[in-house]
Amino acid sequence: MASKRDKDGRYPETKILSKNFGVKDSWTLKVAKKNGAYKNLEKALKMAPADIIEEVKTSRVRGRGGAGFPTGVKWGFVPTESDKPKYLVLNADESEPGTFKDRYLMELDPHLVLEGCLICAYACGLSTIYIYVRGEYPKSQERLWGAIEEARKAGILGKSVMGSDFACEAYVHTGAGAYICGEETGMLESLEGKRGHPRIKPPFPAVEGAFGCPTVINNVETLAHVPCIIENGGQWFADMGIQPDPDNPRAMGSSGTKLMGLSGDIKTPGVWEFEFGITLRELIEQYGEGALDGRKVKAVIPGGLSMPVLTADELDVPMGFDALVKVGSGLGTATAIVMDDSRDMVEVCENIAHFFADESCGQCTPCREGCHWMEKIFARIQGGEGTPADLDLLERLFINIEGRTICALADAAVWPLRSIIRKFRHEFLAKMPGHEDAPASTETAGVGAS
Amino acid sequence: MGDAVNTIFINGTEYPFKPGQTVIQVAQENGIDIQHYCYHPGLSIAGNCRICMIEVEGNPQPQISCKLDCAPPPWIKEPLRVQTESEVAKQGREGTMEMLLVNHPLDCPICDQAGECHLQDYSYEVGQGQASTTTAKTKLPKNVPFGSKIVYDAERCIKCTLCVRFCEEITETNELSMQGRGDEEMVVMTSKGEFDTPYSMNIIDICPVGALTSRDFRFKSRLWFMDFANSIDTSSAKGVNIVTGGRNGTFLRIEPRYNASINDWWMADEGRVAYKYVNSPSRLETALVRDADGQFRVANWEDAISAAAEALRSNPGDILLDGGCTLEEMVLAKDLAGAMGKNAKFAAATGEGDGWLVTEEKGANAKGAELLEVARAKRAQAASVLVIEREEHVNASMREKSGAVVVFATDGEHVPESAEVVFPLPSWAEREGTLVNIDGLAQWMERNPAIGPNNLPVFVEILEDLIGELDDDYAWRGADGVRAEIAALPAFAKVALPWQTETPVGAGS
Repeated sequence: MASKRDKDGRYPETKILSKNFGVKDSWTLKVAKKNGAYKNLEKALKMAPADIIEEVKTSRVRGRGGAGFPTGVKWGFVPTESDKPKYLVLNADESEPGTFKDRYLMELDPHLVLEGCLICAYACGLSTIYIYVRGEYPKSQERLWGAIEEARKAGILGKSVMGSDFACEAYVHTGAGAYICGEETGMLESLEGKRGHPRIKPPFPAVEGAFGCPTVINNVETLAHVPCIIENGGQWFADMGIQPDPDNPRAMGSSGTKLMGLSGDIKTPGVWEFEFGITLRELIEQYGEGALDGRKVKAVIPGGLSMPVLTADELDVPMGFDALVKVGSGLGTATAIVMDDSRDMVEVCENIAHFFADESCGQCTPCREGCHWMEKIFARIQGGEGTPADLDLLERLFINIEGRTICALADAAVWPLRSIIRKFRHEFLAKMPGHEDAPASTETAGVGAS
Repeated sequence: MGDAVNTIFINGTEYPFKPGQTVIQVAQENGIDIQHYCYHPGLSIAGNCRICMIEVEGNPQPQISCKLDCAPPPWIKEPLRVQTESEVAKQGREGTMEMLLVNHPLDCPICDQAGECHLQDYSYEVGQGQASTTTAKTKLPKNVPFGSKIVYDAERCIKCTLCVRFCEEITETNELSMQGRGDEEMVVMTSKGEFDTPYSMNIIDICPVGALTSRDFRFKSRLWFMDFANSIDTSSAKGVNIVTGGRNGTFLRIEPRYNASINDWWMADEGRVAYKYVNSPSRLETALVRDADGQFRVANWEDAISAAAEALRSNPGDILLDGGCTLEEMVLAKDLAGAMGKNAKFAAATGEGDGWLVTEEKGANAKGAELLEVARAKRAQAASVLVIEREEHVNASMREKSGAVVVFATDGEHVPESAEVVFPLPSWAEREGTLVNIDGLAQWMERNPAIGPNNLPVFVEILEDLIGELDDDYAWRGADGVRAEIAALPAFAKVALPWQTETPVGAGS
């Protein structure tokens, strides 16, 4: 891994998805074609669909939306023997706080996204592509619609995709700003015009998804990887990044590149593309240029808001699916939120709890009632009326909320909150009358998303 | 597929299951009670209340039993082993129970559901006994009308969505929906105005808590002061199974009772409020005999029976029966008519049906009358005996035209001018007997002793006394004897009679 760094110890960017970012008018078909757009689709259309799925399996590409499910395996779940129409729903709802990587792809290279979708649709036998775009992304919607129109006129989309027998249509569907609609089945409900209530599984979307038909749901970035996998082969992709651990079947490795981002208390927020393997500290120091002047990084949530927090001492961890799980956190969307030493962690918790309480769809009891309850407890501690018993109560609530609901929103609420109250316990005690002088906690082990 | 797993271990005991069954279903079939709110066997599975948690051995997290398939994943060849009372299971339910009460107003003392509230029951069973909440509860709308019959309280509501699913899946009218997010979520009406589905009040029954209450019943009585009886809805001929509820003589409530072959768990609103006349202030409570001066005077039963027999001897004629009379009553009425050399006829209204639980035929025992060969009365039917319970079956003009001298009436207002002797007729809820529904299913109707005036005579006994007065050779048979005769009739050879079967047909779970 060390070999990836240059002589100054800098971890290089690897621009594959992001190769056209910054190119003038990169979102137009004319410019995109000049840069190679759709030639991989043309290649894919000459391949057998099963071979494409095999190639994607070989690449070991894992879902980029946060869960890290192997994409090729997911495609393999779609029943081939089905007389129903089959759909692709592209999850472009990117509603995870601190996450804005898909937005770059949709705004700057919509044809790459569309090409990935078309290859997936061809490989899995899907007739229609629905791109579910977050309501707060008007420019992404505009660029995607533009790309669809251009592709349709150019014969890339429609009854005969690039002159082949394969027919496929694409539509952009706009969300209305609910976090829960980023959950894949909540998104399907929303797409169907219903309330964004996640569905109870089984049946899984691959069997019964949009409109009761088999449906593939992938993240924007995941499918944007597909054209280059077709171009260079699955093995080329698998050779990049972090290899699987042969001794641990759950450590499936982190192949290929990933768009990673930084936001929060950081000098240079942004999105960059790396091969998996850059450490969180390298990302923050080399690309984010560190904390603001006179400040120190205090805590980082490595991927969006929904992952356990890492303290300043824990940043030498490679950004990869398995490595972050090993230290009790998770890659999530790989867009880190940085908090510096000016941040009050009680306030941070109150803010996080408020977010999840506000976004809880209200369907399952533990999440509906629990998230608001947690928010009220944090508000009480923040108001100087907390006691150490509140922290014990929170720990008990975490147990009763995590893993007890239909979707993972409740887990996403618990993970950062639990890690913060364990790692920054002294800050909570400092706000409790009579406990102000409690020593700083050294307890950091055993905090996990498990 | 021959070696597919088809059993499941629940609490260490192996039970067979049918493909597609979930753990809660197999548990219930075998008498193992698992607490549940959002699960209803007649509706789709929502899996949102999270109270029905059980432990699946090998899984540290409790799982919801309403959604858990009894069949293990195909790669596992061993039956699932689940525990419903283990620490993991109990902790799961306890945790959910606490959440459910975080924002619950705990207004049981003024809540109509108290006594039949699953929140109360499950709190008692798995609750913590101590509240950990010190923060203010979320305030939500109360006393929200859902149409004219139902009142909704969003604070009591546990958002199980049973009512929403009922309107989507059973009536398919979609009047209700969820609105809002998080702990501000609540049920709302999707269309403005009336919630006028003829089956709307079923959502009151399926609501596991006091969120949906009946405008008709609310604040009338605490449940534990009431008596209940398993009866049959007599407002139409479908034979919908119900439970009557009364207190101190007052008929207070009708709720449906499960019967898979007739009404499942449901009933129409029409039948649910068809008890009002039973509480009429003009209910007859004593026998009346017309004096020489033409005025009615109160008579004791013996005097009234002799007077009635006298009137019938001098004025023999047909008997006109209310279409809700039981088989036993019809048989005896036929015999009474026979003693006069006449016939018994029945009168019953017809009206609109909905093809489901409301039939066009309104005579609850019209099919029974057909089997007993009791003919339907003409619109203007002369009769010497009139049995009238429901106004709609024998309307005022029919009553007056009948010229009946002996009248059995529930309500004093229904006594025609021609009456010489009047007996108070207990309402259907106060009588017991057998009804045959329109599909030929015979069902037992149980008497509710808490409904109606005290000490009313038993209708079938009066009928027998009258036959005895008119027929010197009459041998008293009693209701049981009459039932034995019915069972012996060729017309009933293929009818399963409820008192003959070990489990009465129509007995619900």
